[in-house]
Amino acid sequence: MASASVIDVGRHLVGRRSLFSNLRGGLQGSEYAWAIAFCIPYVAVFIAFVVYPVLYGLWLGHKPSLYVELLHDPIYQDTIVNTVLYLVIGVNVKMFFALLLSGFFMRKGWWTKGLLMIYVLPWAIPALPTFISIHWMLNTQWGLINNILWDTFHMDGPGWLDTSRWLALGSVIVSYIWKNMPFWTVILLAGRMAIPQELYEAAEVDGATGIRRFLHVSFPLLANLYLVCTLLSTIFTLGDFNTATFISGGGPALSTHVLATLGIRDAFEIARPELGVAAVLSALPLMIPLVMLLMHKLRTSEVQL
Amino acid sequence: MTILTRRSVLRNSLAVAAAGTIARPFIANAAAKTATVWWTQGFVPEEDAAFKRIVEEYQKASGNTIDFSLIPFAPLMQKIVSAITGGDVPDLISHDINDQVLVPQNAWDDKIVEVSDVIDTQKDKYHPTVYLGTQYYNSVTKKRGGYLIPFKTAILPFHVWTPLVEKAGFKLSDAPKTWDAFWDFFKPMQPKLRETMRNVYAMGLQCTTTGPADGNNMFHHFLIANGGNDIVTKDGKAHLDDPKVKEAVIKSLTYITKAYKDGYVPSGALSWNDADDNNAFHSKLFVMDLDGTISTEVAIKDKDERSQVATLGQGNKNDGTPMTPELGIGGAFIPKGAKAIDVAKEFMTYMIKPDVSNGFLKEGLGRWLPTMPSIVKSDPFWTNGDPQVKAYAAAGMLSDTVANYPVFNPGWAEVNATQVWGAAEADIIRNGATPEAAADAALKKIETILAKYPIVQS
Repeated sequence: MASASVIDVGRHLVGRRSLFSNLRGGLQGSEYAWAIAFCIPYVAVFIAFVVYPVLYGLWLGHKPSLYVELLHDPIYQDTIVNTVLYLVIGVNVKMFFALLLSGFFMRKGWWTKGLLMIYVLPWAIPALPTFISIHWMLNTQWGLINNILWDTFHMDGPGWLDTSRWLALGSVIVSYIWKNMPFWTVILLAGRMAIPQELYEAAEVDGATGIRRFLHVSFPLLANLYLVCTLLSTIFTLGDFNTATFISGGGPALSTHVLATLGIRDAFEIARPELGVAAVLSALPLMIPLVMLLMHKLRTSEVQL
Repeated sequence: MTILTRRSVLRNSLAVAAAGTIARPFIANAAAKTATVWWTQGFVPEEDAAFKRIVEEYQKASGNTIDFSLIPFAPLMQKIVSAITGGDVPDLISHDINDQVLVPQNAWDDKIVEVSDVIDTQKDKYHPTVYLGTQYYNSVTKKRGGYLIPFKTAILPFHVWTPLVEKAGFKLSDAPKTWDAFWDFFKPMQPKLRETMRNVYAMGLQCTTTGPADGNNMFHHFLIANGGNDIVTKDGKAHLDDPKVKEAVIKSLTYITKAYKDGYVPSGALSWNDADDNNAFHSKLFVMDLDGTISTEVAIKDKDERSQVATLGQGNKNDGTPMTPELGIGGAFIPKGAKAIDVAKEFMTYMIKPDVSNGFLKEGLGRWLPTMPSIVKSDPFWTNGDPQVKAYAAAGMLSDTVANYPVFNPGWAEVNATQVWGAAEADIIRNGATPEAAADAALKKIETILAKYPIVQS
């Protein structure tokens, strides 16, 4: 009995030692102190620039009364609808056409490469000048589009950004798709290029060509990438401030704000930072499941052909 | 050669630490001689040059240092709100709409320093509306105090393209003096001008929800012209149920939205920011507008073209009595938490001296007016020079004016920021609401906002 107890104690000590050793990463003596010393700057930077801002933001927007106030605000209600439309239509139309166009850009030939180079220009050019250019093009009185309509058909064009919420929101969504589609096309193009040619050859032997080849080879192999890209794009788009700000400015009459722009308006134009932070934080119930789903999909490695 | 030992390193380190601790108060004193200042960048380069000159002169005279940043209007607002929220503030802040947004709310929250000692150095010289406009209510001390140190003012003059008036076959000298009739005078010009010009409108009414300032300012002048200025009185009380006030609100909403719906206003006006109407004026999109300062005029570099713009005062209210324009006050404040309050106060005491502030404003092309009628009366720059400056100065400093509503009740700063009037106009224009219903909704919204700002009457 006594000898058994000694063995148990010994096992326990060995177990603790190995756990301790594991925690120390196998480092001995002063090596461990040096390792901690070298980590401190990174931990400090992480705390200063990640942990603190996030916690401070959560603290600023922690009062339930802020969310009650937001829910009673008709501008916030419109903003929620706009944000959902912006995400659902903007992201999905963009990703769908990016998928189709990535197939087009797989074609061989110098002109396809040249076209691809031109096609990625909207994404490569900074957002500010491009969006401001579009804003001016859509100007009712002297914008390029309405001037062309006048010169060609002698008719006054619509007030794109002036009076109709849906026309203005549509302009924001189209501009967003135009600006961001090239990037995702290139990502999906890279995904297509990674598919082994032998699979297509084998499918061709089995009689799969054209759309069947896409449905049975390309799409299953791209599905996970497509989903990950869509999730990532949704997360990026939820925080997109530039498009709505520089295309419609949230107008007409504050009817085309999205959460990111409304947050800035509440924080700095109304000078109530806590309300602005609460507006942005109200996206968390959507953002957190998206991030969790994204993490889950990133672990998925199997493909079902 | 000295040999470093562990003991000598420790001993010397301790000595340095001790010296640092003892010397610290002196270092802190030295730091207090520098004030960090955030200042709105001028609309024209001359304004920035004038400010830099004054800083240089002050530094030479005082030995202190002014570490200033000239920041554009919109980013400066974001920077100030962030600084006050976060607590890391500069020593002195000047923003062009301090009087309407930042000072009322932060004085209410007791987040800025009371500076009556600075303001009172020129108290006897200030225009009565200017002095009134420095006094804001503090909800902690439950009394009013001087929080805004004024060095410039502005009203909203009319700006008119005279060649467009003449091209339409009219004479500006024939324009009626009363408010609605004056605006109406320009309406028949639109069809005349459209015979030869595409896309030209009679007026640039800023019926906007974007702001920050123009839409509110324009509406308030309609309100005054229709006899509704008592919507908030000097004691901070709102009179939203007063039939006279309500009638003025309805009349104002009716005029503005009818002009828009009748096509006399560019459709984009619903979303104009404070620069958009200036840009539209410069592109001759409309014949005339009502807009704060003479930034519209001074931004035109071509002298001949600038002379084509007529700058006019506001004439009479609809009842025939003289208009009393709102006098906007440009000034600076010291946020609580500032480290060099003494230097900030000393700098502003220097800045508001009549000759210093007048030099600053003249060098800035007269875009802003002085704070003292005596300056305008004694300096020919304001009375005998440029006709645009002359009309502007006479209307702002030599006539009766009223203070902005946030001076009386800080809640009005939130009313302005939420663009209550712009939202009411948009409701009529876009959703077909009646002016009566839109007025009721706006007044109810204002009541809800002001309820958060109870003012104790002394």
